[in-house]
Amino acid sequence: MSGATTRRIGDGRALKVGLLSFAHVHAAGYAGLLQARPDIDLLVADPEAGGAPSGELRGSAMADGLGVDLVDSYDELFDWGPDAVVVCAETSRHRPLVEWAAAAGVHVLCEKPLATSLVDARAMIEACTAGGVQLMTAYPVRFHPGFRALRDQVRSGALGKVFAATGTNNGQAPIASRRWFVDAELAGGGSLMDHTVHLADLLDDLLGSPAQSVYAQVNNIVHGDEVDVETGGLVVVTYQDGTVATIDCSWSAPRSYPAWGGLTLAVEAEHASCSFDAFADRFDVFDDRAGRLSWTDFGPDLDSLMLEEFLSCVRTGRAVQPDGEVGYRTLEIVRAAYHSAATNAPVTLG
Amino acid sequence: MTPTRGVGAKEGLVPPTVGVVGAGGIARPHLQSWQAMGYRILIHSVDGRAAEVAQDYGAEACDSLDELLAACDIVDVCAPTFAHHEIVLAAAAAGRDVVCEKPLALDHAAAASMIRACAQAGVQLYPGQVVRYFPAYAAARAAVLAGRIGQPAVLRLLRRGAAPVQPWFADPSLSGGIMIDQMIHDFDFARWVAGEVESVYAKLLGGNGSPLFGLAVLTHTGGALTHLVGGWGRADETFRTSFSLAGSDGLIQYSTTDRPTLTFAGPGARDTGGALLPDVSFGISPYGSELAEFAAAFAGGPTPRVSAQDSLAALDIALAASLSARTGRPVSPSEVTS
Repeated sequence: MSGATTRRIGDGRALKVGLLSFAHVHAAGYAGLLQARPDIDLLVADPEAGGAPSGELRGSAMADGLGVDLVDSYDELFDWGPDAVVVCAETSRHRPLVEWAAAAGVHVLCEKPLATSLVDARAMIEACTAGGVQLMTAYPVRFHPGFRALRDQVRSGALGKVFAATGTNNGQAPIASRRWFVDAELAGGGSLMDHTVHLADLLDDLLGSPAQSVYAQVNNIVHGDEVDVETGGLVVVTYQDGTVATIDCSWSAPRSYPAWGGLTLAVEAEHASCSFDAFADRFDVFDDRAGRLSWTDFGPDLDSLMLEEFLSCVRTGRAVQPDGEVGYRTLEIVRAAYHSAATNAPVTLG
Repeated sequence: MTPTRGVGAKEGLVPPTVGVVGAGGIARPHLQSWQAMGYRILIHSVDGRAAEVAQDYGAEACDSLDELLAACDIVDVCAPTFAHHEIVLAAAAAGRDVVCEKPLALDHAAAASMIRACAQAGVQLYPGQVVRYFPAYAAARAAVLAGRIGQPAVLRLLRRGAAPVQPWFADPSLSGGIMIDQMIHDFDFARWVAGEVESVYAKLLGGNGSPLFGLAVLTHTGGALTHLVGGWGRADETFRTSFSLAGSDGLIQYSTTDRPTLTFAGPGARDTGGALLPDVSFGISPYGSELAEFAAAFAGGPTPRVSAQDSLAALDIALAASLSARTGRPVSPSEVTS
């Protein structure tokens, strides 16, 4: 490995954070944010880069571009003695890495969804508990100040009872940059697996009520000629408190869309109708060179807010949120949704 | 005076006569449209408001339905839903072409018998599925037909405003409730854009003095999915609708509140937003477009873009949604046709 220097900030030692894999589309963003922090030493391993389709920027090419240090194997990374790791491997490869970290006493921030199966997710939670390390699920949207304000209003009771919520997490299919997102084995499915969980997390945080039943329908019309997994999906979740929420997880943003996609949540309550747009802070750019409209985002950096909370919890020992259990509950909704879509009937949880 | 039917109306020798039945909220845009087209207008209602409403549109009030039927060429049924069946059957028996507001009836059998009666009487029957005549919706459907989004994949349709003030709307035994009365517009539009529906899963939330919401997920035979929200909200809520039509090659998005043509602000402003019905006080009236298309068909012109059978299919989807909301299971529209 090339030399990972140790910077010391104030009376605190710099935290050593390992980034496990560049597989996830968010990995580059995390690497950039962590690298820019003076209180963090970052080291990356992307040993499975060779298995990625040609043309995808991975491994040393990506590390060089980002200016981050890279080692060849996870062994080397764990030998370095990280305090925490950020797991950005393909979803079905999360479990062994999280178990490895837990056994090594290393705190974990794990990309969403936590796993492709509930068995794996439960094993990861138990491993972290046994290892005495924290497990955070990477749900950055709940750190948006706008969502926090919405959640505070709901929790204060000012809005009265929440009847219904409708969420959209639509985007372009992540086919071009990271093909594994449409590999049923590595990703656990398509858009239903990729885009249901963020909203399921927000609703978990907002309602504080367990999901009771799930109904879902999926299709494969958008990009149907290119991929086998579902690209369109609508999920209806009924919570124990009677609230019904719908989640549109479709990869329905066309290639000509002005951005990757977006996330919205509308909440209908007794005394108010509320709407939250996680990417509303943007302006239109009509760019002749691009030949189409594009959006420039100037909103809060949600990944940065999430990383800050994770690192703060690692330093102080404060319990992380969203934790592994939220990751599990939201995956439970996704698994139930797949079952519902396959049987054309609502599925009861629990 | 006793109005008499315009002899030779269909030959254009004298202005044709339309008989509007009902004098409530939806009658007004119809009356305005008939008046603009130069029709002689008769109006009858059982709520005692016919004479007053007639004055606003240069119409003549009739004391009885029989009197109206005897003297008109076209019957336009704007009465509450529960009264449609009887009026349409009477109109058919009198040999009059019929426009009937949506929903045609509260159940499949009643609507089907209205369609049958009109067919047997040799008169035409068209439903007030006016959303097909709103310029944005008509243009969106045309864009889909032109291939602009490829194959429809996931549709999102929203329609909400203040809850209707007339008490009969709030009684599902009289109006059918929000899914049958209000969401039927978007059920029809969904079917118009993405084809027949094979399964409906729906939830009804709120109500009992609070805002009422209907949520529905439709699975179309061709594989497309539609997400619908219908809302009857607070008295101060401005009416709004939106649609998002995602397909294999593109996406169409529209909201009535995105880019208002005209806004007012300040102490002198009045709210032009409308509550229950969209504001069509300026620009092209979709009611006018709709009734002009029906009137042309009555005069032997082209077949309108919407048939009574389409409205029955939309009613079947709405009935399936209501049944799903009651039972908690997905329901096929074919289940509600018996």
